[in-house]
Amino acid sequence: MMRGAAFALLLLGACDALPRDPAGTSTQIERSRIFTVALADPALRSAPQVGRLVEEIERRTKARAQWRSGSGEPLFQQLDEGRIDLVIGRFTADSPWATDVAFAPALSTSGTKDVPIELKAAMRNGENRWIMTVERASRAISQEARDQ
Amino acid sequence: MSQTSLPQELREPMARAIRLEYWNIFWTLTIIVTMGLVLGQSETMKTAWIEDTLGLVPPVMFLIAAHMERHSHRSRRYPFGFERVNGLGFFVAAVALTAVGGLLLYNALMALGTQEHATVGSIVILGHDLWLGWLMLAAQIYSLIPPLFIGRKELPLAKQLNDKLLHTDALMNKANWLTGAAGLAGIIGLGLGWWWADSLAAAIISVDVLNDGIKALRSSTAELVDGAPRALSSTDLSQDAQKVRDRLQAEFPDATVRLRETGRLIRAEVHDTHPPSECRHPRHYWPDDEDRAWRLAQVSFIPPMEADEKS
Repeated sequence: MMRGAAFALLLLGACDALPRDPAGTSTQIERSRIFTVALADPALRSAPQVGRLVEEIERRTKARAQWRSGSGEPLFQQLDEGRIDLVIGRFTADSPWATDVAFAPALSTSGTKDVPIELKAAMRNGENRWIMTVERASRAISQEARDQ
Repeated sequence: MSQTSLPQELREPMARAIRLEYWNIFWTLTIIVTMGLVLGQSETMKTAWIEDTLGLVPPVMFLIAAHMERHSHRSRRYPFGFERVNGLGFFVAAVALTAVGGLLLYNALMALGTQEHATVGSIVILGHDLWLGWLMLAAQIYSLIPPLFIGRKELPLAKQLNDKLLHTDALMNKANWLTGAAGLAGIIGLGLGWWWADSLAAAIISVDVLNDGIKALRSSTAELVDGAPRALSSTDLSQDAQKVRDRLQAEFPDATVRLRETGRLIRAEVHDTHPPSECRHPRHYWPDDEDRAWRLAQVSFIPPMEADEKS
């Protein structure tokens, strides 16, 4: 019985140990207490879900968001190079960027049924711990994200 | 004489092999579905999933060949029956393995070359966010279990039936733990932040698929071009066939003995000699235990040209 409990605890500990980020995004954020965010469309700054998502990530990481300016494709390039940690924007459901960056679950969907436009966060590919943090935060603030 | 190409004494083991292959397909499908549900973007998982899907090819080809061998009668159009359908199935399985193995290796090397970082995110289960990698590991462990048992059961049947298709499948199943271990290491490595572990594990798995394919391709083409009978587990010459050759050569020392294989059966041609005066069934020439005598289906004698005899 004791052994089983110890094994379960060990397993839970292991569950939390993985995954890690190949480029160390989460460690870097933990150390500097800052993460960088950019909006694909500056008009989104006033969207309530964007603010709530950033606040939720700040709460979970105990870090402060540092806003960066920019728009469109160059932001994804910076994301891919690790110069930005997070890009939030409205993207089509079958975005051509889907293989180059990792998208979190959509916070909300607009557009038409044929071409839905999703408000969601994009992270650098492969930074799995950081991706999980943003996914969890997205689910925490949006019912639509929880349902995906 | 049997109107189908399957020897009478193989009917019972063949029926057992068919039942086993249906179970094999069932368990392989459960693995394909389980792995498919947690694929994600991992190269390791995609490669392992394709390998598992390819695992359906040998049992399906075996069942098609077995059906034709058991139920299709000799006819004017097919006077020798369908004993070579098994060899054709073996060839198709070999081509599929080789082609897909090569493609998977190319993909894995490209992913390594371009330093692709695989994204494996989280999933919600019973209200808890769980890293998808844990489910991938569970699926990989599950995928190791059924092939191990099926491979062990297939091996003796493959030897009894002298069935290369079944034998290749048995070896692939038995060796599955190797690729499974590579898969597990790939996912754990990915979890530890080693981006290259995923593509490297995928490359190792694809080399294994390619190796299986090339071995099977060499053996199956040897049969299709009337090469000497090959051993079940390698491209070496079959020991059974070597003994038949020695037996015939001992009785007809001046003759040239040529052997080939049609499916599980051996056919012998004894050139430049006259047949013995008494009537003999081909099985008379089988050198070893009677149980395997069914393998020798034909011994034909081709006498020397008259001109040769006079000289």
